[in-house]
Amino acid sequence: MRTANNRRWAVLLPALLLALGLAAGPVTAADPAAEPAATAPAGTAPAAAPATPAATAAPDASAAPTDASPAPGATPAPAGDASTRALDEQIQDLKQSVVDLNKDLFVLEEELLFPANTQVAVFVSMDVGEFFGLDSVTLKIDKREVSNYLYTPREVAALLKGGVQRLYVGNLKAGSHELVALFSGKGPNERDYRRGAALKFEKGVGAKYLELKISDRARRQQPEFEIKDWE
Amino acid sequence: MIRSFQRACMVAVLAAALGSGAARAATVVGDLAPDFALPAVAGGNVRLSEHRGDVVLLTFWSSGCSVCAAQLDALGSLQTTYRSAGLVTLAVSVDDNVDRALRYANSHPVRFPLLLDRRKDVSRAYRIERLPTMVLIDRRGRVRFVVADYRRTDNSYVAQVRELLDDPL
Repeated sequence: MRTANNRRWAVLLPALLLALGLAAGPVTAADPAAEPAATAPAGTAPAAAPATPAATAAPDASAAPTDASPAPGATPAPAGDASTRALDEQIQDLKQSVVDLNKDLFVLEEELLFPANTQVAVFVSMDVGEFFGLDSVTLKIDKREVSNYLYTPREVAALLKGGVQRLYVGNLKAGSHELVALFSGKGPNERDYRRGAALKFEKGVGAKYLELKISDRARRQQPEFEIKDWE
Repeated sequence: MIRSFQRACMVAVLAAALGSGAARAATVVGDLAPDFALPAVAGGNVRLSEHRGDVVLLTFWSSGCSVCAAQLDALGSLQTTYRSAGLVTLAVSVDDNVDRALRYANSHPVRFPLLLDRRKDVSRAYRIERLPTMVLIDRRGRVRFVVADYRRTDNSYVAQVRELLDDPL
């Protein structure tokens, strides 16, 4: 009996220690008391390193005064301004390159995630909006909800100014599909208004662009919801 | 005796492992605040990303939480004081019963939007485990502080709000 217990302990003890080690792992990393031990190896590097950073920093530091004082009679302020301007230009260039890189990455991501032959994009546009205050749009493709977007007053104002929003982008295989859009908001006389629009469309080889168009029908004093298929 | 000791050890180990996991999961400090759009009790929708550049105090409340009423009152006066400095307060209800939340909201008028999280997507995204919980988001849209234990006498969160307001974009 005792030997059985011993055997069980022999199995359990390493598991216990392992589990404790796992549980304690992240704690020790965040534990301030453990920090010196954790930083000790890193601390040795700077201790050994000062020679190189100091050596490399020194010429720069010495170069700065020589650059800043080309003429003995010149005041130091303009030189300082020039170096600040140069630094500012460098920062602007760096920012521009980051923006360009971000744009390239975005395009690459779009191309990879939504290849042209399977891409479906749905856009929303709004005209006038006198009879309808947009609150939300729910989008279903082939009876599956793919988007439910709530509009803030700012976004509605942007749409009313002529903005077009890309509500959804996804992938669909070639063939026939059905798009259902449910619009909710405030209708004429500030009443809650909910209306749907549906479109059966054929997805071919190329990308498919669909537009949900909200417009006013002045003759009927009602909003109109239309789904337009951009060929 | 030995067996019961073994069981106790196993339970302790499991609790330690689960506890450390829960602690890791509960924190969102340092992360970009998950964006959301929620309907407001007063009408219209509110989107968090539209307040980028402001300091956002996001609080999660429920009509069944007794401390929440006091907290909402305190946040109302805080909002009045620091609105001009760029503080935006948003209170997200996690009530299952929306009618109850609406009744509560109507009986406790506040000067900031009370939002309804019907699907609990937002409270899940922020890993809310207790009420009330305050999440402080800086001007860059990053979660900086999470205050999960609100006490009427403890105003330390005001210092955190001021710290974020003092931090320029």
